[in-house]
Amino acid sequence: MELTNGATKAGDWRNYERVLLPPIRNLHKLEVYENEANGYNRLRDVLENDDWTPESVTNEVKASNLRGRGGAGFPTGLKWSFMPDPDDRPRYLACNADESEPGTFKDRQIMEYNPHLMFEGILIAGYAMQLDACYVYIRGEYADWIRHMEAQLQKAYDKGYVGDNIMGTDFSMDIVLHKGAGAYICGEETSLMESLEGKRGYPRYKPPFPAQKGLWASPTTINNVETLAHAPLIIENGGEWFANTGAEAHPGPILYGISGHVNRPGVYEYPTGMLITDLIDEVAQGVIDDKGIKAVVPGGCSVPPLRGDGIDGVTMDSESLQEAGSMLGTGGMLILDEDTDMVSYLRRVTHFYQHESCGQCTPCREGTGWLERIVTRIDEGEGNMRDLDLLLDLCDQMEGRTICAFADAAAWPVRNTVKRFREDFEAKCKPSVHPTGADLSAAGATAA
Amino acid sequence: MSHFDIERPIVKLPEQQPEQQIPDEELVWTDEEQERIEERKAKYPDPKSAIMDLLWMAQEKYDYLPPEAIRLCADTLDMDYARAYGVATFYTQYYKEEKGKFVLDVCTCFSCQMMGGYDILHYLEEKLGIHKGETTDDGLFTVEEVECLGCCGSAPMMQVTNGPYVHNLTKDKVDALLDDLKDGNMPPFVSVTLPQDEDEMGGNRRSDVEATETYQTPPRSEAVK
Repeated sequence: MELTNGATKAGDWRNYERVLLPPIRNLHKLEVYENEANGYNRLRDVLENDDWTPESVTNEVKASNLRGRGGAGFPTGLKWSFMPDPDDRPRYLACNADESEPGTFKDRQIMEYNPHLMFEGILIAGYAMQLDACYVYIRGEYADWIRHMEAQLQKAYDKGYVGDNIMGTDFSMDIVLHKGAGAYICGEETSLMESLEGKRGYPRYKPPFPAQKGLWASPTTINNVETLAHAPLIIENGGEWFANTGAEAHPGPILYGISGHVNRPGVYEYPTGMLITDLIDEVAQGVIDDKGIKAVVPGGCSVPPLRGDGIDGVTMDSESLQEAGSMLGTGGMLILDEDTDMVSYLRRVTHFYQHESCGQCTPCREGTGWLERIVTRIDEGEGNMRDLDLLLDLCDQMEGRTICAFADAAAWPVRNTVKRFREDFEAKCKPSVHPTGADLSAAGATAA
Repeated sequence: MSHFDIERPIVKLPEQQPEQQIPDEELVWTDEEQERIEERKAKYPDPKSAIMDLLWMAQEKYDYLPPEAIRLCADTLDMDYARAYGVATFYTQYYKEEKGKFVLDVCTCFSCQMMGGYDILHYLEEKLGIHKGETTDDGLFTVEEVECLGCCGSAPMMQVTNGPYVHNLTKDKVDALLDDLKDGNMPPFVSVTLPQDEDEMGGNRRSDVEATETYQTPPRSEAVK
């Protein structure tokens, strides 16, 4: 196995040593983080070493080819470079900790077990983009974790790692934890900004993009928790190390959240680009009762599910998954065994979107409700075959016709579940009026 | 039964002349709360952005948010009542109506659905004799069905009154939880151990948390075929 600078290729995942959540007891405490995990030394290096300028930090992140871990997979370094040159306006970072995508529970592990890595990443991003403050938008359900993080953040403030004149330099940055109150849509970046400003979480039109006009009309960048937690590691080990870890086009360590019908669910840290079959059979120790796999949802409920018979050779990176007809999303995998009824699965998914649509755009507000009602009708055995086409038509009417991508995220799983598991749906629909092979001549002209 | 006989988004107009639930003399912040409010307001360039924090504080103080509590928050921040009301009604965790002392939010989103979340929900409904969204007559429990709580590995799970998570639910665990709650004991914060920690570190890594569990899969339920 070819190794570069200590980087692990995806195929060599068995020898992988964790870096986001390294095996250190009580790592969430500041003193342990400082003493045993090189904590805040990456930040000190960036601030005190003259070789590190804001541009060179951004360039290192660009060289690492880090792609956002929040779902969209946008290159992080490129996103950082969109920030305009400093003017008289303040500049902000919004850290997206509104982890609400069903099937996703990875960011919470960072907040629980290694919160200072996130804080350090925020500060490094703050230095690279010359920011004044970071607002961490945490979903309101994580009340316990917010409490824990507030205590740790206060310790970091007391030690002079956050706040004014960090480590005696002229770099100052504040971190504010903002508690949400239960709205999936606030994970969408513009909706998150609206919510931070103390408004209803309605997504905004783009353009203007957040880098031009974001929080309180100032330049803003929005990054996911895991994305920011990678920044100190990139500074410490170099962009090249990161770019050589895992899949080439989508590199780096990643947290896989595995749930569903597997023997050992949980969050696992491994390089990107692992075989889905490895993750299921070896990491998660196989499907319960050794059943077959009906479907795999690779990255949260918004991504199209893959058929169990189509996952051989598919790896967990955006390129391979795109080829297979899905997306990496958040890396929150749901594994469904052969006994699963995909109609009832889809019924719950459409219910989720119906419940969480913010109601701003008509195609989404009405469309998600119709999707749920039609799927429910089929699930209850009262659907007709033509309802399947109606569902697909409805998806056409929703996709790309709304302000944010929520409607697309609602339409993709519907479209692909109906297409890929059509036999499940047809089995639940009322039989066609004219079954194939029926003798139509006997019915006479009245049948029409 | 009509096939449209399912929950539909119904726009319910609020009561236009609601009776005041909280007496005027209680509609004030204590000095301590006032201090916290000033602290939060200073965190944002626009003090009005602190409205979500204030609503949380009001909900902790009054247990739910009747219109006069929302108005108190709005007045404190010198913002329109309509805007504050808009915020309070947008987010599901703000209780606009009085709920039971303990709100049991059972997650039934897809991972939990597959692991038996609906069994737990229906078991609770049966045991307490109420439907989801309702409160028991003694005012102790409200049962709700909620969307993903972000703990899919320990499904099925629930959250108690916007606070602690209860993982890997079984019927026995639900029984024990209800008994504990009746005695007034909230469940503790539980740290769910990472599988890799079990392999590499022998289990839970946090010494400050006593209650730990592991991510696990419940036995396949017959009801969730």
